[in-house]
Amino acid sequence: MSGFKRDFNGNAKKREDRPKPPPKQVAKNQYTPMFEALRDELDEHHDRRERIIKASRDITGLSKKIIFALQRVRKIEPNLPEKIQSEINTRLDDISKLLITIAPEIQGLNRYRYARSLMCLEELVEALTFAHYLKTQTLITPQQLVPIMQELAVRQAAAEDQVMTDVNDSTPAAPTPKPAPLTVDLTEDDYLFGVFDLTGEMMRFATTSTALTGTMTMATGSSSSSEKDEQPRTIVEDMHELGSLLEMLPPSGSRIQWEKKLDVTRQSVRKVERLGYDRTIRGSERPKGWIPDLADQQQPDDE
Amino acid sequence: MAPMIDPALFDQLKAKIEEDATVRKELDQIVDELNQHVSFTQGILSRIHSTPRSKYPSLAPQITQGISSTKATISKLSAYASNYPYYKYNHKWTRTLQDAITALLLSSWLGFPSSPSPSSDAVVSEPGNLLTPEQVGSIFAVPINLKDRDSFHLTTEEYLLALVNVVDELSRLAMNSVTLGDTSIAVQIAGFIKDLHAGFQVLNLKNDILRKRVDSIKYAVKKAEDIVYDLSLRNLIPASAKAAEGESAAQ
Repeated sequence: MSGFKRDFNGNAKKREDRPKPPPKQVAKNQYTPMFEALRDELDEHHDRRERIIKASRDITGLSKKIIFALQRVRKIEPNLPEKIQSEINTRLDDISKLLITIAPEIQGLNRYRYARSLMCLEELVEALTFAHYLKTQTLITPQQLVPIMQELAVRQAAAEDQVMTDVNDSTPAAPTPKPAPLTVDLTEDDYLFGVFDLTGEMMRFATTSTALTGTMTMATGSSSSSEKDEQPRTIVEDMHELGSLLEMLPPSGSRIQWEKKLDVTRQSVRKVERLGYDRTIRGSERPKGWIPDLADQQQPDDE
Repeated sequence: MAPMIDPALFDQLKAKIEEDATVRKELDQIVDELNQHVSFTQGILSRIHSTPRSKYPSLAPQITQGISSTKATISKLSAYASNYPYYKYNHKWTRTLQDAITALLLSSWLGFPSSPSPSSDAVVSEPGNLLTPEQVGSIFAVPINLKDRDSFHLTTEEYLLALVNVVDELSRLAMNSVTLGDTSIAVQIAGFIKDLHAGFQVLNLKNDILRKRVDSIKYAVKKAEDIVYDLSLRNLIPASAKAAEGESAAQ
């Protein structure tokens, strides 16, 4: 991960036995033992927090990369393009490894204790919901996320077991009772704020895919238009539905944060609305690949 | 084609958020109640600054009463809050709980009984007894520093932050007790604060609220030492306290 220090002779120092800061020279008195005990408590907490924050930062980065990859998708269909899917799988593998390392630290009591250091989960939910939308054109429910998180908890655990048994395969593979893998639970706020961010991603997706494919109805359309009587839903409708869902919910968590997120969502809905309008009114006039400049309202017709 | 949003989702989310709001409201009420008792106790305790030690027994009953009603409300809070993830709502009561611990630590150090004693209710023992986190927990009848289950408890941080407040309050008392003509307790406080200061130096603090608060202890130490200096300059330190002071002042 990060670099390591070398000693005077240039040999790498082990990080494992990172020495506690040298004991400060303080006069011992009757309260010293108590403070020493309290110090150990605080150290444990700080160390754990630091480990979580480190993993969280990496998970956030990986989730963002998944989202970028998903933004390269052009249409909604049950199977993502192979290249993109395989990139996402690698990222998810990495995320799974990280989640496994911190999962024991954020069980039960500690789940909310470190909730603020776990903003990565919001980002992960955003990536997962977005992937789900691109595949099914529906909003994933919290229940549907549970098996995905469970899968992430075991995904790389299996691989690690493999390594472990390879290392000490001299010992006969005793059927060690495997403890149930610890899953990282998502809180309601992780889900809600992830969904808020999803609207932004949908807006970006709608803009690029409309511009590049020249159709607004990129929703399902081509792939699953078996039911001919039913007009495929467009992303504009989806955005409207999602927008009203979020508007109707009573604010959860910090009110200020909620309002801010809601405001961004409203803007995204407006942008997609405008896209839909543009497509309807002059869509056919535009050559494929022409990118509408939403910032400029006084766009002269390209003729 | 499946609808964009599962029709059940809205109600499900709404129910969760509403439950959360109800919990918060209920907690607000309990914490309000706790606040009243703590403020009452702190108010009575603030009279130490204008009451000579010989009159402390007159304060004792009310302080004891304040602490026991504080304790009762903490039990209520503990019972209710234990139904929910502890750290989800901990921010709601942590300040008030710190103040409650402060009041308890301070009154105990000054020798006030924390619960009405059966024999006589005007007992004020000798000052100088600092309650440990375990003792605070057992007086308030709540666990401390829980790790293995998600339930109500007192945290290490809360105890330490409360202790910083005690130091601050005592440094003020050192000054005021001199004004009231009681120099021996001022000397005793100076020694105690210095010991605690040394204790806090043992901690490895991060850049957080605790660090900020602990940094203020050095001013309390200075304040108390200045008072001792003023007293010794004028030969006002009683002989009994002098011996004790000589011990802890020896560097």
